[in-house]
Amino acid sequence: MSPKYHSLQAVQEAIAARQTNCSILVEHYLGNIAASGHLNAWVEVFSEEAIARARELDEKYRTDPAAVGKLFGLVVSIKDVICYEGHRISAASKMLGGFESLYSATVVERLLAEDAIIIGRVNCDEFAMGSTTENSAHGPTLNAADPERVPGGSSGGSAVAVQTDTCLISIGSDTGGSVRQPAAFCGVMGFKPTYGRISRHGLIAYASSFDQIGILGRSPEDIARVLSVVAGPDEYDATALPHPPPVFSFSSQWEGKPDPRKIAFIEETLTHPGLDPAIRQITEDYLKGLEELGHQLVPVHFDYLDFLIPAYYVLTTAEASTNLSRYDGVRYGHRSEQAGNVEEVFKLSRTEGFGREVKRRIMLGTFVLSAGFYDAYYAKAQKARRLIAQRVEEILNDCDLLAMPATPETAPKLGELSSDPVKMYLSDIYTVLANLCGLPAIAFPIGTHPEGLPVGIQLMAGKGKDAALLEAVEDLRK
Amino acid sequence: MSNYETVIGLEVHLQLSTRSKAFCGDDAGFGAAPNSHVGVVSLAHPGTLPRLNEAQVRYAVRLGLALGCKINLENRFDRKNYFYTDLPKGYQITQDAMPVCVGGAMPIRVGERWREVRIHHIHMEEDAGKSIHDVDPDNSLVDLNRAGVPLLEIVTEPDLYSAGEVDAFMTGMRQLARYLGISDGNMQEGSMRCDVNISLRKKGSRELGERCEIKNLNSMRFARQAIGFEAKRQAELLDSGKPIRKQTLKFDPASGKTHPLRGKEDAHDYRYFPDPDLPPVVLTKKFIAGEKSRLPALPWQLYAQFTSEFGLSDYDAGLLTQEPDVAGLYLKLCDSTKNYKAAANLIINKVNPWLNEHRAGVEDFPVPVNALAELIGLVDANKVSASAANQQLFMGMIENPDLQPLALAEKLNLLQVSDENYLEQLARQVIGANPEEAEIYRKGKKGLIGFFMGELMKASKGKADPKAGRELLVKLLEQGL
Repeated sequence: MSPKYHSLQAVQEAIAARQTNCSILVEHYLGNIAASGHLNAWVEVFSEEAIARARELDEKYRTDPAAVGKLFGLVVSIKDVICYEGHRISAASKMLGGFESLYSATVVERLLAEDAIIIGRVNCDEFAMGSTTENSAHGPTLNAADPERVPGGSSGGSAVAVQTDTCLISIGSDTGGSVRQPAAFCGVMGFKPTYGRISRHGLIAYASSFDQIGILGRSPEDIARVLSVVAGPDEYDATALPHPPPVFSFSSQWEGKPDPRKIAFIEETLTHPGLDPAIRQITEDYLKGLEELGHQLVPVHFDYLDFLIPAYYVLTTAEASTNLSRYDGVRYGHRSEQAGNVEEVFKLSRTEGFGREVKRRIMLGTFVLSAGFYDAYYAKAQKARRLIAQRVEEILNDCDLLAMPATPETAPKLGELSSDPVKMYLSDIYTVLANLCGLPAIAFPIGTHPEGLPVGIQLMAGKGKDAALLEAVEDLRK
Repeated sequence: MSNYETVIGLEVHLQLSTRSKAFCGDDAGFGAAPNSHVGVVSLAHPGTLPRLNEAQVRYAVRLGLALGCKINLENRFDRKNYFYTDLPKGYQITQDAMPVCVGGAMPIRVGERWREVRIHHIHMEEDAGKSIHDVDPDNSLVDLNRAGVPLLEIVTEPDLYSAGEVDAFMTGMRQLARYLGISDGNMQEGSMRCDVNISLRKKGSRELGERCEIKNLNSMRFARQAIGFEAKRQAELLDSGKPIRKQTLKFDPASGKTHPLRGKEDAHDYRYFPDPDLPPVVLTKKFIAGEKSRLPALPWQLYAQFTSEFGLSDYDAGLLTQEPDVAGLYLKLCDSTKNYKAAANLIINKVNPWLNEHRAGVEDFPVPVNALAELIGLVDANKVSASAANQQLFMGMIENPDLQPLALAEKLNLLQVSDENYLEQLARQVIGANPEEAEIYRKGKKGLIGFFMGELMKASKGKADPKAGRELLVKLLEQGL
């Protein structure tokens, strides 16, 4: 589906030229939402509210065009794990059926403060656990590129929302690739900033030391504009970085040839037996193309590829198992009607409220933290995480970027991955690295698979180099 | 029973008097309507995160420095996982692997001497809410006001040997907390509670026996009862050749007995691990030096000063050091008078009872320190009798805190007369009016001086300086007028 506007700049220029306004934009997106309803990307559309807000913003602009915020004209969706005061939020779980948030996430407050319009919340895997968006209390979301296939996950609704031009930007979350993998599957751009760059306050936790709010959109510039608004320190999140939001300098804004970049690629990621040969071919062609443009390719070795998935799943499930303890049926959320005493309230509410995948991860995490197993699993995985991060840091001390495929395969058919959890976990092999290391990473489309599905590539940069990464993507696309 | 020695280690939970909670901005105060201090973080709503209240760390360091602990510069918080209705997150934020303070010792006074109880460590953690089981017949109620209030857990070595010593430790801890301004240490309001680890060993043995832990004792009376019961229970088991099983116990105040809370087989696995939401807190040496420089004089230091420098009895020193502000008042008073004993008496016998009666703090006491010193001075100079000073003048000063004590004594007609001319006139009158007694006195019955003193006081309406008056009477009687 070809979008009406490719970028926020195009939107703002059209508004300035009186070709459109917020109300017309909202009507446009609402129309597309209705037209793409069969894909089940949306959990809830805030139609009336978005229309009313658009009218207010149009009035504000009419009164004083200089008074509107930096994100004026931006229509955004939020993943169903991001709190918005007075709005329902479910984490795609029966556990939070009917729950309404009493406060807004920092990211939501900052978007609204700069006059973005939040048009609704989009589907995802339950508690952001999954790689397909099939694992949702609201039913699976389908990929617009092929409705028999999944959009990826867990931010599958976000990717499809951008893919189908039902919003310009979607705010997702990325714990092990949940923004980048669906972006690659759906042919859009998905960015995960440096850990701590965007406050997690108001993001329903999956694994605290991995979770990071991500941004899905169509261009590095749009993502950069949103990032510069929502990033920055936040007193409500002790892990938020103290640095001010990044400042961007895009080559589109100046004349001349962009700087050549030194781009590392891990050979083992391309020779990996799980990698689809066509994706390998497209990736190698793309990298070759960059070389021809004057960028330098640096092949590097990485001995820990097989440790990524085990380390990631031990640590994330450990954190998840306790992050999800608060859903106990006592204060809010699902409470079993069968429960006759306190212990039954806990046991039955959680048994009924959580889906299979969430329960599986809680069980795994509980196991790896248990007395007698902690050292063999959790402590060892922490050690692996340190070694992995050290090695990647070495690579990125020498190179500007680290390139690798975003996914080993294209979007699978419904049921294909979710029926085999281990296969599903292994499909995260390229994306978990950035979360293990806390690095900024982005996935964007570089070609089409012979089967007709989008293929994405992933770039990573050093810690804190969010601006450099987004600028590089803009340059490489030239 | 007498064959055994009771060995006790404590885990004291001290609730800190910070204004807000340990990891969010909710009010940490006691006594509000149930569930009125509960924001989204206290309620563990989805998406909420903890943020550290720095006052908690400062208070912990303060206590550690007072007890001579080693302060760990790198502090980490861990999650202790278990499900309970009054634990909203399903885990408690605590310090498992790296407590803020390690080692150190608390001086306690046992009988006539001081001795030290070694501290194993002190760690920071948050309190849970309160479950209330006795209000609604069908439901348990939960009050989450307390959930997230900062606590210090002070873990001692097994260095206590009786309920009396436990009492001395707890009293000392409450006193110290108040000196440091970190907690009111009030057991009635739950600001201080303790778990008691208790074991028995044969007298003379150095080896520790198997121990049981009595959880959550919230009054000293219950602690005494629980220790008494448990020591007896364990002694009976040992006497009949049965082993002590390591277990967690609960004390039931109604029956005065301890009961197993849970056996070893269903012991919790708390799955401690570092809380990923809270980055390590790294303390600087400068921060610690700053806290050290602001430490007040500690109760045992003042006790030593009061007994040696000021020559007070152990009893008086104990009374005067109980509360930091009373000790402070005494110190200030001793800056203005050298009669330390009189100053101690004035505070113990007059000021303290007034404070207790009015449920007031030292800051509410209306009379300034220099006026108290002047009161002592008036008695020392024989200008006011001790009894007049203690009764009318002290009360008068409280009612007229702006008046100088001397002026007030004058106004109240309490000044003793030591004017020789006036006194001599009165004395001559008194002797002249009782010639027979004067004769008997002169013949040797010197005890009659008491009679003449009484007459003199009567004549002076109680204002005669007894010392000067007595001297005059003796002189005049001997002279035979």
